[in-house]
Amino acid sequence: MLIRLAGGDVVDPVNGPAGRRDVWIKDGVIVERPASKRAERTYDVSGCIVMAGAIDIHSHIGGGNVNTARLLLPEQHAAHLRRPAHTPLSNAGWSTFNTGCLYAKMGFTTVVEPAMSPSSALHTHMELADIPIIDKATLAILGNDDFLLSMIRDNASTAMIDDYVAWTVSTSRALGVKVINAGAAAAFKENVRRFSFDDVVPSYGVSSRRIVETLQASVGRLGVPHPLHVHANNLGIAGNATTAAETIRAADGRPLHLAHLQFYGYGTEGKRGFSSEAARLAELVNENADVTIDVGQVMFGQTVTISSDVTRQYSGMRTANPKKSILIDGDGNGGGIVPYRYRPDYYGSLQWAVGLELFLLINDPWRVFFTTDHPNGAPFTAYPDLFELLMRRDAREAKMAELDKSALELTTLASISREYTLDEIAVMTRGAPAKLLGLDDRGHLGPGAIADIAVYRKGQDVSKMFADAALVFKNGDLVVEDGVVTHYRWGKTLRLNPPPDKGIVRRMQAYHEDRYGLSLDWFTFPETAIARENPFAEVACRS
Amino acid sequence: MVAWIGSRTVPLSAAIEQAAKLLATSRCPVFSLDSDIHGCRSLIALAERVGATYDHVHGRDLVHEVALHTDIGGFFATATEVRRRADLVAIVGDVPPVHHDLLSSLAATGPDLAGKGRRRWYQIEGRAASAGGRRPLRGPKAVRVGSPDLPVDAVLGILRASLSGKKVSATFANADAFLGALAKARFPVFVVSHLTDVPALAMLQGLLADINRTQRATALFLPSDDDAWGMVLASTWMTGFPPRTGFSTGAPVYDPWLCDVDRMIAQKEADLHVWVSERDEAPPARRGGPPTIALVRGERPVAGAAATIRIGKAGLDHDGVVYSSRIGTLRSVPAEAPSDLPSVRAVVDQFQHALTGQDMPC
Repeated sequence: MLIRLAGGDVVDPVNGPAGRRDVWIKDGVIVERPASKRAERTYDVSGCIVMAGAIDIHSHIGGGNVNTARLLLPEQHAAHLRRPAHTPLSNAGWSTFNTGCLYAKMGFTTVVEPAMSPSSALHTHMELADIPIIDKATLAILGNDDFLLSMIRDNASTAMIDDYVAWTVSTSRALGVKVINAGAAAAFKENVRRFSFDDVVPSYGVSSRRIVETLQASVGRLGVPHPLHVHANNLGIAGNATTAAETIRAADGRPLHLAHLQFYGYGTEGKRGFSSEAARLAELVNENADVTIDVGQVMFGQTVTISSDVTRQYSGMRTANPKKSILIDGDGNGGGIVPYRYRPDYYGSLQWAVGLELFLLINDPWRVFFTTDHPNGAPFTAYPDLFELLMRRDAREAKMAELDKSALELTTLASISREYTLDEIAVMTRGAPAKLLGLDDRGHLGPGAIADIAVYRKGQDVSKMFADAALVFKNGDLVVEDGVVTHYRWGKTLRLNPPPDKGIVRRMQAYHEDRYGLSLDWFTFPETAIARENPFAEVACRS
Repeated sequence: MVAWIGSRTVPLSAAIEQAAKLLATSRCPVFSLDSDIHGCRSLIALAERVGATYDHVHGRDLVHEVALHTDIGGFFATATEVRRRADLVAIVGDVPPVHHDLLSSLAATGPDLAGKGRRRWYQIEGRAASAGGRRPLRGPKAVRVGSPDLPVDAVLGILRASLSGKKVSATFANADAFLGALAKARFPVFVVSHLTDVPALAMLQGLLADINRTQRATALFLPSDDDAWGMVLASTWMTGFPPRTGFSTGAPVYDPWLCDVDRMIAQKEADLHVWVSERDEAPPARRGGPPTIALVRGERPVAGAAATIRIGKAGLDHDGVVYSSRIGTLRSVPAEAPSDLPSVRAVVDQFQHALTGQDMPC
């Protein structure tokens, strides 16, 4: 079917400056204006903004740890009482079903779950397959697993390390590789409570720096489009901007992605020894063209922190709100679930400001990515409010008036006048994520791109505009009208498929039989196990 | 022969049609489930469609294990990590026979991460919870710690108090030896399974929180029924809630009392009972209960059921996905002896089709 979106203001910075034009869709793909100009279906989108579907590169939407968080925090209430309007996480899109619907109504069409334990990949993919409408992808976690640490300790060849990384990506059906507090989870199991970039995992004699550098190089050699996705050491600790700076410098001119940098933007100034170092970090990012970051913006209210950084999550258990949490010593990283309420007190205000400083002081929207590290900084449903804060200085100032003044004085936020343009928003949430993940078929509205399209009604209220898209198309199917999901469909999970070396398969078989007493097929799965038609779509590695 | 209406053998399509009629006219249907992940997913989706309330067939046991996670939380480990790292294993209370092979395999190996060595085994026990007394543990030879005169939570409480240097009014066999071994252990693990005593679960996690202030320790939670735990996981991701969730209002509502299917049947709230068991279990006989639709493995119709459909078992008759305590996550299981018996999912798909003329959304 030929579809025409007529008369909209198209914001598509990948293909040129914004302007009024029609967008044509045929069989799920964007096409040039056809010679006939006779569409079978025309949507009048005059007065609307037309963008590609948005892409979220870092949002914890499925898998064992996410599900444990759901289990820890059911919205239970006494049967004889009226159901409360707002319960913990009621706004978080908590089921797989809600997740897909809530993302779609905001115009997001692709979301990356950034922390999949390879050993529980089947669980993660089963959950992702139950998220409707949107496409998904995962990053496989490495860097605390015995097999890799042993290889690094034993000075294994780069070929052997590459074979293992490729095997992990392939069998877990991931789109990339993430390292989370490299070595710290392994060290924590040996009762090491703090772990910095040059600290060494006791039983392996391998430093965090060496793990990161090893994986970064391997990801590059394998042609994985997305650079190594790094959750650095010392998350959340005062003074940790130094750790982030060391990690950025270690990139050494090679691509590296630093996740949720806001949580590393802290200095030790002020009476409380907790201050903003965002300006320094932003400058460092500006100077290192191969480094990309996502922010992990904090917004206020109830949420739950979900992380495979067990060292950090253990220390966070003291401040759990409500007072319950779960810590799992699992294969490799494990995970920790700690509910938390961000309050507009000194600490919350400072974290909120640090995130915005990073957004506004990093110059290149192609290298700073729009995330709240859902749900760690805030549920993804807070995105519309965050767009408003980035696009309107008066909205920031109004919010700042409600917050802790002494915290804000330790930041540069009040002095920043920058307001994101729609073009910059489109780069940060569409073009740049597609480029970063190697997804050439999306993130723009050029001919040949899949017809993932978000149409927003223009208005002064930026938050309202982005909260309820006027129209959303996924692969050319109209799925949202006026902020309401009108059609359900199943998206795909995007994955790489580097061919596994036969030698590494034999080694992995022997390893699992020897160390776990179980054959390798306990840990791997056929595609048919997902029980959905064509659940995966392959993305090519770069040659 | 795979379907019956009452005790009369019928084509599968007739039984499907009869079941769909009952589902369409029911005002308060309840489901008791026991299937693999795909079976549970399809049944939960059906429950949403018809406004049903669902629980596991063994919901009465499961509710305590769910409460460990919803109400208490704490420290946990996977069995694979325990195998490689635990240098002290303390079994708290009884462990069901289904997990004895896992314990035997742990007993036959030693930790190989963070230094090699042997595992020390302890069994923390109190007054027997069931009238049948304690079930003997196959596998490891464990030093018994505790007292038959005290409940397990009291034994754990005394250990916890002793560990923090508090005076205790009671003592019991091997307490000091256990505490001494615990202090020296690098990665002690407490194994807990089928513990229906919520105070004991809370006390164990309190003990673990205390230990973790200075050294590492964790718990290996072994669900009393792996398939039931798989249902907990699927229910939680599909609806946001564990079983004992209902769709009577359209949106999922989780309430362990309100959505107790046994209670709803006993108090005559339910007007239709869907019973699904991939094992050879039949629904409990109830006089004056609601009409029953039974999906079972047996070769005969369930006595008193309005409709019975014979189903296959995941991992035996057809491929499936199940939870496995051995690896602490989901596992794909191929059919060991493929048969023509329909899977739960296939039957539920036909229910859905008969109800609406559409395929299931999952």
